[in-house]
Order: sequence, then C-alpha cells, then structure tokens
Amino acid sequence: MDQQLELLLEIQDLRMQRRELTDGSTDLEAEVFDVKIEDAIRLLDEKVEELAERLARGIRDRYRRIADKAPRVVAPVINGICYGCFVAVSTARASEADRNLRVESCEYCGCFLYHVG
Amino acid sequence: MQLRELFVPSAINLDLAAETKDEALKELVSCLGLDGKSEGILYKMLKRRENLGSTGIGRGIAIPHCRSLVVTRLRVAFGRKLSGLDFKAIDEKPVRYVFLIVAPPLEVSNQYLPVLGKIAQFGKEADVPESLAELSSPEQFIELLEAKDL
Repeated sequence: MDQQLELLLEIQDLRMQRRELTDGSTDLEAEVFDVKIEDAIRLLDEKVEELAERLARGIRDRYRRIADKAPRVVAPVINGICYGCFVAVSTARASEADRNLRVESCEYCGCFLYHVG
Repeated sequence: MQLRELFVPSAINLDLAAETKDEALKELVSCLGLDGKSEGILYKMLKRRENLGSTGIGRGIAIPHCRSLVVTRLRVAFGRKLSGLDFKAIDEKPVRYVFLIVAPPLEVSNQYLPVLGKIAQFGKEADVPESLAELSSPEQFIELLEAKDL
C-alpha cells in the first residue's frame, strides 16, 4: 500500500473517532469507558495534525481542501462503488492490480479512494 | 440482530497466548482474517483508541473498539486469558476477557454503538465473569449469549 494512502487512512479513522466523540452519540465513551472527552478530542486533533504534516505537499494541500469542507477525506471503494458519493469508479481503475499502491481520488466527489477487500 | 449472530467460532479464542495488552490486541485482530496490511492499520487504530483511555471497564473485562476503513462490515472477536493481562483497567485489576469490536465508517444497519452498548451491559452482569471463566468451547460462548437472550 502507498505510504501516503496509509497516512490518509489513519487520518480518516482518527477523524471518524473524533466525530463520534463530538456528535453526542457516544455517551458510552464517557460513561462506560471513563474517557475525558475534551482531552480525547485534543489528543486526536494533535495526532491528525501530526499525521497531516507527514503528507507530501500536493496531497496535504488537497487533503486540507477536502477536510475543510467535508467530514470524509477518504472513501472506501467496495465492489467498484465509491462510498463517498455512491457512484461507480471507472472499471479500469477498480480492476487495477496495483490498486492502493498509489494515491487516487474519485473524479465525482473528490475523496481520496481506498479499495477495500 | 442478536449479538450471538455476530460471533463466529474462529474469532473466539479461549486461550490467548498473549502476555501483554498489545499482544492480545494483535492476536484478536488476527482472528478477523484480514490481510497483513489491514491488520497493521487496525492494530494501530486500536492502540490509538486505548491512548484516549483504557477500554478495560473493570471486573476483568475489556472492550477495545474502533471504526476503521479496513473493514467492510461490523466484526467482533472474543479472547480469554485466565491468568490476566495488564490493561490499565478502570478498577486497575487484570483483564481476563477481551471483546474486540470493529466497524466500518459507514454501516447501513448502524449496529456499532448498539453492539458496544450490549457488550458493555453484558460485562456488567454479576454472573458473567464466572460464566466466561467456565467456558470450554467457542460454542459454549455462543450458548452463553443465547442464554442471556443476546
């Protein structure tokens, strides 16, 4: 897997974790797991920023543009469908043997793509 | 969906080889049948979640959990280490029973949080630690969930 894509995946997963801490649906984290929500959010923000700084400049600029506008910066591609916009990615792209070996984006929604499975 | 329908025997390990929390996380992740790269990413994410606060909820039970792009559906696993693992649990006692929960960012059925809640509730029942200690096969684990109507 492309190392930049791997960084993007980590960033996306951490952003998802942060989102769940802030959207009010995870009282469980505070009540069951005794997580200090504000501290956790700060730690996640710091980690996301640290990882973002490790992205190559062009990818980082693109990441920041997407991240400013949308909660999702990386979308999974499952069975040829981009789960960012639910549009089929091109057949050639979906069937490439070297998928996930380079950073690519959805031509419709702009999300970075991660081929799952 | 019932909790027991999510557990498959291959993801129930009643005799973890792990001696540490990190090893236990790796061992449980390896039960999910992902490729090596995905396992690595998932392990890293679980560790990051643990850094926010231990998922050891006390009474010998831990529930490491996270969402990750590397899975396409909700996945669960159970591991037991009767001699105990240092999980930095809330009650500072060793953890013997580990429930792993991993979900993709998007789930049509949105089961992740309900499953997390159900397992947390299950772990709080008075007789559960003793029942988990007595299990001798993965099938009995499923039967225990069934007996609890989970």
